[in-house]
Amino acid sequence: MDIDDILASVDHGPGASPESTALDHQLLTRFWVAERAVSEVLPWPAPLMERMMDRVRNQIETIEDLAASSGDATVPHTHNPNLNLRLSILQTDLARTQYLIRSLLRARLAKVTKYSMHYLVRLASRDKNPSQTQSTLSSQNPNQQPEDSVPDIASLTDLAPLSEPEASFLHAHQTLLAGHYGGSFMGAFPRQLRRLDDNAGGTSMVQGPDLREVVFVRCLGAEVPVLLEEDDDDVGVTMRMGDVWVVRWEGVKKAWARGEVELL
Amino acid sequence: MAFPLPRGVTVSEIAFLAEMETVTVVPRQRLEGLELLGGPVEPLAPPRRASLPLWLALLLKRQRRANIIPPAWLHPEPLSLILDVESQHQDYQNAFSPPPPLPGQPSVLDRNATASAKPQYTPDGDRYYPAPPFLPHNTAQTTSSRDTPSLPFHWVEVGNLLLESASDDLVEPDQIRRLLKDLREVRMSKMRSGVDVLDEAATGGGGVALTGVGSMELGEERGFITGVVDGLRKIGASKEQARREQMAEQRAAGGYNGTQEEEEEDYMEF
Repeated sequence: MDIDDILASVDHGPGASPESTALDHQLLTRFWVAERAVSEVLPWPAPLMERMMDRVRNQIETIEDLAASSGDATVPHTHNPNLNLRLSILQTDLARTQYLIRSLLRARLAKVTKYSMHYLVRLASRDKNPSQTQSTLSSQNPNQQPEDSVPDIASLTDLAPLSEPEASFLHAHQTLLAGHYGGSFMGAFPRQLRRLDDNAGGTSMVQGPDLREVVFVRCLGAEVPVLLEEDDDDVGVTMRMGDVWVVRWEGVKKAWARGEVELL
Repeated sequence: MAFPLPRGVTVSEIAFLAEMETVTVVPRQRLEGLELLGGPVEPLAPPRRASLPLWLALLLKRQRRANIIPPAWLHPEPLSLILDVESQHQDYQNAFSPPPPLPGQPSVLDRNATASAKPQYTPDGDRYYPAPPFLPHNTAQTTSSRDTPSLPFHWVEVGNLLLESASDDLVEPDQIRRLLKDLREVRMSKMRSGVDVLDEAATGGGGVALTGVGSMELGEERGFITGVVDGLRKIGASKEQARREQMAEQRAAGGYNGTQEEEEEDYMEF
């Protein structure tokens, strides 16, 4: 049985087979490489991560059961000479998967903290009926504090691209940070200068990830055009299947979402 | 600091990825099948060959529980053939030799055939096209024997790992080592001489092709290439802005479609 057979066994359409372990592992690996390759936070693949976490939990139980049976001195070891080998293989495999997940989560956390205000503002701008937005209140507020410019995202349901824990971490982190800035130096500023999302003079001080950075991609579809801009119809060069290109991330972002290119 | 590493997978992470490649082994002992998180592993029963992920094959090899059958490309003859193509062939003076084709991709021999990517479907219903390290590019038999030998994406890593841990399973390991080193040098100089065209990737919609590049070669040059291109992009940012505004104006005036505008602009710059 080679990898093709394993893949063929799961190729029965959406969610048909529980034997999708190998495929999910490939998806996780590809997503990890992609997350490491770009400077923005990619959309959280919630169903995939739930399946992976379930599998990791089950695998830890399996390993614990095996280890318990090997530690049992009353049972002679002769019935299974390979037990230690099996245990070490299972543990290595588990450690490799855990490394992938840990690295993925930490890379995302690093991006979320680096561009915290950018993501908070982006999430908050989706709020349909903002409850007493700070913008109306804060201009008159004589006790303007940096914390006031941290949008409240507690009522939001659509947190894309973040997961729920990431969003609540982001809010708590930024609130603490704003409080610290206020306490250490911003409190001494005139109150109109105390906001963290100031865009006076047409220049926003909220920094976001740079979507024009170049990435390395492999074209997986038959032909994929590179777009001039993310939401543009103008196309530049066309990549062909199997090609590896250095291109701007914004030009291939949509093709990546369709799974037609792979980040390297 | 949640994560200290720079953007893009680093060299050690690439080595980690390369260990997911599938290789062929001849087991020297029995082992029942295992359900791993990376997918099921078939039962081992000597002397039947089995396909295992490289990390597992190396683990068994180091404990003398299996022998690794070298990948089809990791022999002196195919390697010297590839080296000839890399260094002598006219078409590949400034390009890497073609990589092994993806499933559904026509080989370099029949250029007229069209690519037909056959996607699989993920449990979430998205399309999925498999790619290295999850293709059998490093097994003893490659998918079709009539293909010309080619270097797989993770050739540096797989080659070095096997030379290091399983050199007794290789045919003439010293010559393989020498050939791999020569290939590295030829391709590295190509990578460096390609710096001139990097300006292409600095404009919107443009790009530079690196088809055939190895994962480790990419990892080593990543910092340099992204640094150069991002620098060029910042230098050309105002020019690009002006060009975009001009295009928007033309579109507002109507009359041209996108491609015509582009061509016209190229002439107007002179």
